[in-house]
Amino acid sequence: MTTLEAFTPLQELPARLTEMKRRIRAREHDRFRDTETIDVQSECDAQGLSWPRRAARLTRRMCEAQTAVIEPDERIVFTRTVRTVPAYYSPEEWASRTAGRTLHELGPISNICADWGMVLSQGLLARKEAALAARQRLDAETEAVEFLDCAAETIDAVLALAQRYAETARQMGRRDVAEILARVPAHPARTFHEALQSLRLCHAVLWLGGHYHCGLGRFDQYMWPYLKADLEAGRIDESEAEELLAEFFISLNKDSDLYPGIQQGDNGQSLMLGGVKRDGSDGVNPLTVMVLGVARAVALIDPKINLRVDRNISLDLLAVAAELTRIGLGFPQYANDEVVIPGLMAAGYELEDARDYTVAACWEFCIPGLGMEVVNIGAASMSAAVDKAVRAGLAASESFDAILKGVEADLRAQVNVLAEASRKLFLPPAPYYSVLMDGCLERGRDLSLGAKYNNFGIHGATSSNAADALAAVKTLVFDEKKVSPERLLRALETDFAEDEALRKELRENAPKVGNYDERADAFLVKLFDMFADACAAVGGNGRGGRYRPGSGSAMYYVWLARGHDGMREPAVGATADGRKAGEYFSSSLAPSPGVFVRGPFSVLQSFGRIDYRRVSNGGPLTMELSDSLFRGRDATRKVGTFVRAFVQSGCQQLQLNTLNVDTLRDAQIHPELHKNLVVRVWGWSGYFCELDKDYQDQIIGRHIYGSCSADATCQ
Amino acid sequence: MTGVVFDIRELTVHDGPGIRTSVFLKGCPLRCQWCHNPEGMSPEPQLLRSAAGERLAGRVYTSEELAVILNRQAPLLRESGGVTFSGGEPLMQAQFVAEVIDRLDGLHIALDTSGFAPEKDFALVAGGCDFVLFDLKLMDADAHRRWTGVDNGPILRNLFVLDETKIPYVVRVPLVPSVTDTEENLRAIASAVSRLSAHPRVELVPYNRSAGGKYAACGLEWRPAFDESAPYNDNLMPFQELDVEASLA
Repeated sequence: MTTLEAFTPLQELPARLTEMKRRIRAREHDRFRDTETIDVQSECDAQGLSWPRRAARLTRRMCEAQTAVIEPDERIVFTRTVRTVPAYYSPEEWASRTAGRTLHELGPISNICADWGMVLSQGLLARKEAALAARQRLDAETEAVEFLDCAAETIDAVLALAQRYAETARQMGRRDVAEILARVPAHPARTFHEALQSLRLCHAVLWLGGHYHCGLGRFDQYMWPYLKADLEAGRIDESEAEELLAEFFISLNKDSDLYPGIQQGDNGQSLMLGGVKRDGSDGVNPLTVMVLGVARAVALIDPKINLRVDRNISLDLLAVAAELTRIGLGFPQYANDEVVIPGLMAAGYELEDARDYTVAACWEFCIPGLGMEVVNIGAASMSAAVDKAVRAGLAASESFDAILKGVEADLRAQVNVLAEASRKLFLPPAPYYSVLMDGCLERGRDLSLGAKYNNFGIHGATSSNAADALAAVKTLVFDEKKVSPERLLRALETDFAEDEALRKELRENAPKVGNYDERADAFLVKLFDMFADACAAVGGNGRGGRYRPGSGSAMYYVWLARGHDGMREPAVGATADGRKAGEYFSSSLAPSPGVFVRGPFSVLQSFGRIDYRRVSNGGPLTMELSDSLFRGRDATRKVGTFVRAFVQSGCQQLQLNTLNVDTLRDAQIHPELHKNLVVRVWGWSGYFCELDKDYQDQIIGRHIYGSCSADATCQ
Repeated sequence: MTGVVFDIRELTVHDGPGIRTSVFLKGCPLRCQWCHNPEGMSPEPQLLRSAAGERLAGRVYTSEELAVILNRQAPLLRESGGVTFSGGEPLMQAQFVAEVIDRLDGLHIALDTSGFAPEKDFALVAGGCDFVLFDLKLMDADAHRRWTGVDNGPILRNLFVLDETKIPYVVRVPLVPSVTDTEENLRAIASAVSRLSAHPRVELVPYNRSAGGKYAACGLEWRPAFDESAPYNDNLMPFQELDVEASLA
């Protein structure tokens, strides 16, 4: 391993970038944006273009419509100036062409990760050559020829956009920018600066074509060779490299208000650090450390930082990572290689590919360049399954085993419904995304038709409340017989309106997940086993893949509590864990909100019991730390030590958030004073004051560990 | 035998090396005017009443029950830290603590103590520990009596006992404005520590301004005879002059 001492983490942004950050947060670049949308559809209709050609035309016209914007202090350029991505079919035409098919979310491919290493090292001209070579080879196949022509059209469009930027730079006397854009993304990047510029442009164009949640992959792996070469040749030094990297990170925050997402910030600009290389050797390098330091100094919601860890990871590195955790952005999110890699292999991934995993956007695992997976095809509502089975079982005076069978049947039914709908999935052609993936051009097949891995992921949402509900029924109704079935049923039906005593009993005297209490944890494990069984039993997804169960909740922890138009599932009413209708569930993996929890070690041990080899879609254990935990000189090493304990516990993924509840409450009252306050929401971080109140309140209600305000340990 | 515990907290970071689980034993012979754990004073379980509702502080455990709870976490704690016995004053339940320690399974054990205990109790518990956090508040005997309610003689004697044991330890000084943080007191502490053969490190612990928060819930009145809001003096010079390693916690 390269020594980590090679770099000291960046402490503060240079003045130039502080000003750039201020400008971008104030959205001063909004003035460059057009108010009118461009029309692509008329042209497509007039020419009677096919679907693939329309997709290519969209990317091309969007590239052409961009005004080249180069601010005097910018060294990495591109500012999106066209606000909206236009349709290329009329709504009627779109509806009739997609009739009987399932579209995922907005339709276009999202939530995957390109092979950025390949793109930067080959350059787009080499990709075009690959397309032309395949076209010659496959000239008898009309579909392949059309696809490859479309891919080439998008490449030309990106190169033309780069040339326009280069020309503008020359006119402004910015030879530095002009020279770089004359080189990339057409040709292989030679320097760190060129690689960052190439990535900025190629990545931004994905969004122009309607794609979203576009991951950035294993950034320190594919970027380090460029930086290393620069450093060795003496072209730049550490501080220049940090400044470029910081500018790149800031640039990722420019257009994000135009990106689609559930809430501002939910945009999937995630990158992965560390972990093993494809050959199994340690991938941590000096850029790993540099990214952690720069992300801390930049302190914006993009890019979202992930760090792969295993038992051998250095505590020095974890302490640098904890410095980032300390400032409360909710980065990094940790993934445990020791659990994730075997899980992916059990799900059919080859060893080398499994070692190369990243997160698609939030937390879902995918392989850069090789995965055309839909990692969030839907969610199974564990609380709904349990609630239905409990109510039916109590009403029919059934045994507890019968209730469990009911849960199992309901989970299967939910997975079946999701599978049935998703087998009709239609992904619109994606010629430009295909350029950035492995083998699409070479095979002459659009990415939308599939890649090496084609699995679908299903979230297993609201697991803790569901397990707690089962534990409460088992303990209080069946084992101790303290509560009659009739009484519980009536209380559930009336939302505990007449029986607050019972609600307290269920809430306070039944076993709860998060306390390393077998009586509750056993149901957590069982729910995920049942869910995994249901996903295995449902078989293939019609695209050569299977259904991957996960442990994340995405927004369902709020939607399932409050109801939402965007989901098939009904809201869940009062539940047997003592939760009243409308109360939020916990986000991804976390103890149920408001229940007594022994503490973070017990939480790790409870959730470490899940068999993640069968639950490999991802979904983080979510823990909130009080900022007071970070007082004291060894604090960051201690938080790093806690991350090691996470590795040891056998949990899969960990999202650590640092909070101060008083600050959050104040921000609700005085949002104008807390504009830059960032919190981790689910698989992403956002500005607290820009979140809907539902999401704000749920965060304030989470368990916060290490708090000093009402606690015994602090002096 | 049984003991009374008012909290078991996981992931404590200020109570010894690494990350730890701290056990807070109920009951304390001292009545420090700045005490921030008033529920740790009485040795009996007690009901705390606040706006948030009622909560029972203090649960009776057998030494076996408590050891089972702690040993369950051993796989995580063995590599990352250990267990700390704190309070209240853990030495008020010395026999119980010693029994729990005997039952612990290869864990690093720390004792967080005021040092105020009979020498045999101190030796019994400290002898089973890997690390001691030893509080030193006031060197002047009268001032010590006035502010904590007890004589500091036994504390100083136990400090010398500890110094002979070769068990690693740190001396912790709470910085209470104009009470313990005076130049005179810090000099006296530095001087005492400089004469110890183990050359322990000194940690100065800033006064916790939310100390009074829990008094009402305990049915006690918070009436400190010092100015809480005054800045505390964290001048390390008295220690540096005598080559005593000191830092702010």
